[in-house]
Amino acid sequence: MEITDERNGTNKMIVIELVEERDYRKLSKSRYWFDWRTEKDYLVYKLRLAESSDILGIMSLIHYEEEKRFAINLLAVSKENRGKQKTYGNIAGNLIAYACREALRLYALEGCVSLVPKTELKEHYIKQYGMLDAGRQLFLEGRPLLNLLKTYDV
Amino acid sequence: MKTEKLHKKYTAKELAGAFVFRNTLTALQTEDAGKQLAEARKKLQKKHTPQDILYAGVLQLRYQIEEYTASTQYHAHLSFAYFLRAYIKLSYKNNKDFARDIHIDETELSQILNGHRDPSEKTLIRIELHSGNLLPALYWFKLLEKEKEYELETDHSLREREEKYVKNRLRFKPLPKKS
Repeated sequence: MEITDERNGTNKMIVIELVEERDYRKLSKSRYWFDWRTEKDYLVYKLRLAESSDILGIMSLIHYEEEKRFAINLLAVSKENRGKQKTYGNIAGNLIAYACREALRLYALEGCVSLVPKTELKEHYIKQYGMLDAGRQLFLEGRPLLNLLKTYDV
Repeated sequence: MKTEKLHKKYTAKELAGAFVFRNTLTALQTEDAGKQLAEARKKLQKKHTPQDILYAGVLQLRYQIEEYTASTQYHAHLSFAYFLRAYIKLSYKNNKDFARDIHIDETELSQILNGHRDPSEKTLIRIELHSGNLLPALYWFKLLEKEKEYELETDHSLREREEKYVKNRLRFKPLPKKS
């Protein structure tokens, strides 16, 4: 998996892995927006460059085993990687694609990834990640989920 | 900081590219959202094609092999043969047809699947090609390597048997304790 260095257009290898207890000290609200300690009961993943330990993005997932589904509870990209002036692109997309990988790894084509969008962001999740509209929730499953895995080369 | 501040700083598109915010639905809305999602998934699942089911099945094996070979854990049941059986089962009713398609003898395949014989490099490459390169030969090799690593590390009887062939072994005094 790779993210794009927006300064020169080159791609950088990334690693997505579970957050460790010691990481929570680094996850400040000023850089990662939310209080991530509230997510300790869930599956919390961090994204970093393969060559660095600096966390560039973070996501918490709730696993609903009986529904074969992972719900994205929270996701945030680090401050310097948001908006027009961002250093690296595709961080959120890679994290969402990773959630899809986990769903597929456990449940094959029946695996599902969902999120509850803010109303004003809904159409953008649909456009950017190919999510499907289920009313109050958006989700990825089946062909759209496979497409996202392909887009992010997972 | 409130979310409004983010809205002033970033466009909706940029926010969707950087955040998923916490769900603020009420209990009633959550229940409704669950029903809507279940209904939408049910409809979608009716549209799954056999091609998509097969592709997802192979990709699932790929991710499972990646996960297992990257971990430090060893599980005897997660062998090369286990994954190969699972792969064959995705698109064949019997092993014989698969053996024919990758041009190896049925008996050879049976021995591999029963752990009585290691697959040749040619076989690994043929499985890679058969899977449309989704399951590279290297992945299969890593599974075999993991089994060998475990055997090598835990074969105490082999160590006992080989003891008599080793002379003038290096012996070291214990290092002095740090004061």
